[in-house]
Amino acid sequence: MEPRKDPGSDQVRAHGWVAHLRAGGTTPWLAWTGHDDAAPAARAVPGAQQLELLRRINLAFESGAGPRGDHDDRRTRLADRVLTAPAAGRGKADLPLVGVPAPSYGPRPVDPAGVSAHELLRVASVLLADDLVDLGPDPVPTSWARPWRRRFRLVGDPLVTVAAREHLLGRGRPEGGPRPFVVAVGAPLDELLAHTWTQRCFEHGSRPWGDWLRFWVERDQLPARVDLVDSVHRWGGRRPFVRVVTDLAQLPGQVGVRHLPAVRTPGADQAELARRIAAVVGLRAPVAERPALMRTLQRRISDTGVAPVGVPAAQREWVAASAARLGRHLSRAGYPVVGDLADLAPRAAVDAAAGADDQQVLDLAIGMIVDPTWRTERQVER
Amino acid sequence: MSRRVLLHVGCPKTGTSYLQDVLFRNQAVLREHDILYPADRFDAHFLAALDLMTLPWGGIETEAVGAWDRLAEQVRDWHGTSIISHEIFARATPTQVERALASLGDAEVHLVLSVRDLVRQIPAEWQENVKHRSHITYGRFLRTIRDPERDSRIGSWFWAVQEIPDILERWGSSLPPEHVHLVTLPPSGSDRGELWRRFSRTFGLDDLPLDLTAERENPSLGVPETALLRTVNERVTSVIAPPDYRPLVRETLAHQTLSRGVASARLGLPPADHAWARELSQGWIEVLADRGYDVVGSLDDLLGPEPGPYADPDAVGADELLPPALDAIGALLVEAARLRAVEERLHEELREAREERDRARLTPAYRARRKVVTTLEGSPAGRGTLDAYRRLRGRTG
Repeated sequence: MEPRKDPGSDQVRAHGWVAHLRAGGTTPWLAWTGHDDAAPAARAVPGAQQLELLRRINLAFESGAGPRGDHDDRRTRLADRVLTAPAAGRGKADLPLVGVPAPSYGPRPVDPAGVSAHELLRVASVLLADDLVDLGPDPVPTSWARPWRRRFRLVGDPLVTVAAREHLLGRGRPEGGPRPFVVAVGAPLDELLAHTWTQRCFEHGSRPWGDWLRFWVERDQLPARVDLVDSVHRWGGRRPFVRVVTDLAQLPGQVGVRHLPAVRTPGADQAELARRIAAVVGLRAPVAERPALMRTLQRRISDTGVAPVGVPAAQREWVAASAARLGRHLSRAGYPVVGDLADLAPRAAVDAAAGADDQQVLDLAIGMIVDPTWRTERQVER
Repeated sequence: MSRRVLLHVGCPKTGTSYLQDVLFRNQAVLREHDILYPADRFDAHFLAALDLMTLPWGGIETEAVGAWDRLAEQVRDWHGTSIISHEIFARATPTQVERALASLGDAEVHLVLSVRDLVRQIPAEWQENVKHRSHITYGRFLRTIRDPERDSRIGSWFWAVQEIPDILERWGSSLPPEHVHLVTLPPSGSDRGELWRRFSRTFGLDDLPLDLTAERENPSLGVPETALLRTVNERVTSVIAPPDYRPLVRETLAHQTLSRGVASARLGLPPADHAWARELSQGWIEVLADRGYDVVGSLDDLLGPEPGPYADPDAVGADELLPPALDAIGALLVEAARLRAVEERLHEELREAREERDRARLTPAYRARRKVVTTLEGSPAGRGTLDAYRRLRGRTG
């Protein structure tokens, strides 16, 4: 293929558009009439997914989303990364541009402006995963273990326990030790399920929220970390050495400290983006390193104000029945309760959003690609 | 000796599992003849393909980190001929093809594509989908792949790995046509050894003392067996996770049990789809003939068989589903019994370990020490004392 032999050809026009985008241009493909004499950066014209994502990134730069004083060479390097990034997963192949002569076989040409947010996210998640792997895991602060610390083993709500475990480790109170108290952290079951899926997204990744929830509903089982009775059994908890905590204000006392930092629940868009990034990180970093990398992302991911995922109306009845059953089992087991087992009942508003849409997730992803401060600034504890 | 790379990139359902198994098991013999098939496990090239193409694959991809670069490095370092083979390479995008070819260094690259007629490939791909958790009906599958928009996941994947002119355009456009080798699958009913002879000639394996025993194949299913599996998928794919589905459904049910139904009707294409597939294939044959590739076999093999009797898997009755369903229940009970035996053995080992521990704890000295420790653990001061003692003794527990 010799794309530059005929200067008037659409192939040359396509390469001109690629160069335009590479230089920071934002003209849509169908409005592009110019040529660019720069030599093509690659022999093949990138797919419509990569090109449209680059155009959206350029638009975001134009709107001032990028950091001030951003240098041209960084933007050019970023553009080259976008143009060569694969679209992760078993979705569509790289799509050719409509208007460029194509053989009768291969994927159908498309107008890049019409490529869905879902497709653009397949490329954006690869860029962010590569950024995360390059950044590496944040160091986890540790301190010498206090001999007089209370021995505990935290189970239950993963958002709370992961954050608490990390905080306590930094203050010389690592989990475990001989004959620990098993502290099971409960919450309204709909929130507990949402927290569990959200935390999975920031560890090894997961299937989409709706599929994941349906899996457990159809099995009529609770996930391992949500089933507090099973969690206590797994750690060999015996009655006097178990505490079921439903009142988070009293959790610090159960692990031997005066207070614990507030836990922020990631929004549905943040969790969904993390889920997609985790899948790519699985191909970029050894499996043992993925949780630390994803935890780093959890601390640093940009805030957008989107609500966390919620249980859809169709599954609320099952959640309520499961919460009642879990409460009965805990009550029969006779474990001491800090709070009230009635607090396990779901409490989300009926009109709670079930999850984020792809456009919200894409907006977040583009924001993080354009503005690298999430990578360059010091971590904050979350 | 000149350095050559034989890069076999597809297509799925063209005898690739058998070829890769022979190559994997005969690595030592091949090396003696200066041929490298670099694989430390059977699916090494599959992992390399996942890595090259950034393809998450039900969790297996976590074993693929850096797999393509390692494979390419071994190929670059080899003095003779190297073989790379996996059928999902067929799906690579032009950018990924550029990266793959560049990473093979200055070796002379020969592209190999094994191909089979669409008339047999389409039913085979539907079966493959069903064996990978899909419960799409055959009728909907056919409509999906005939949709020119190819908007669906199934449609885009199917054409990415089965559209021969496009695969060769992506992989072969930078290679001289004589370095592109098209191995056609012989028509149904041909001598069983003919496909191997074509592979052997293409990969330069003639006259090598290879063990050709078939240890690993990807057997096909009959019409009622596939219909049963699809129906089972409707019930279980939402509640059985992929790591459980693979051994229980795909291996135990599909490969080891339902594929034995050799007397069942084989799946073909409905008459209208059959005519469409042959017409499309005729167009491909003309394109491929013009390109001047090295064809091992005959391009006419791509036209496919004449229409025959058609059994519709979407219309299989309960009486036809019953025999394979009973076979499936039997196979799953046997598998459950085997797993129960494993569980029982593990319980026994655990019991023995506990008894041994309890015997060690029966001494009066141990009981006295235990009482002291339990008392101390009840207060912060006691815990501090215990910690200090353990530090002095160099113990942590």
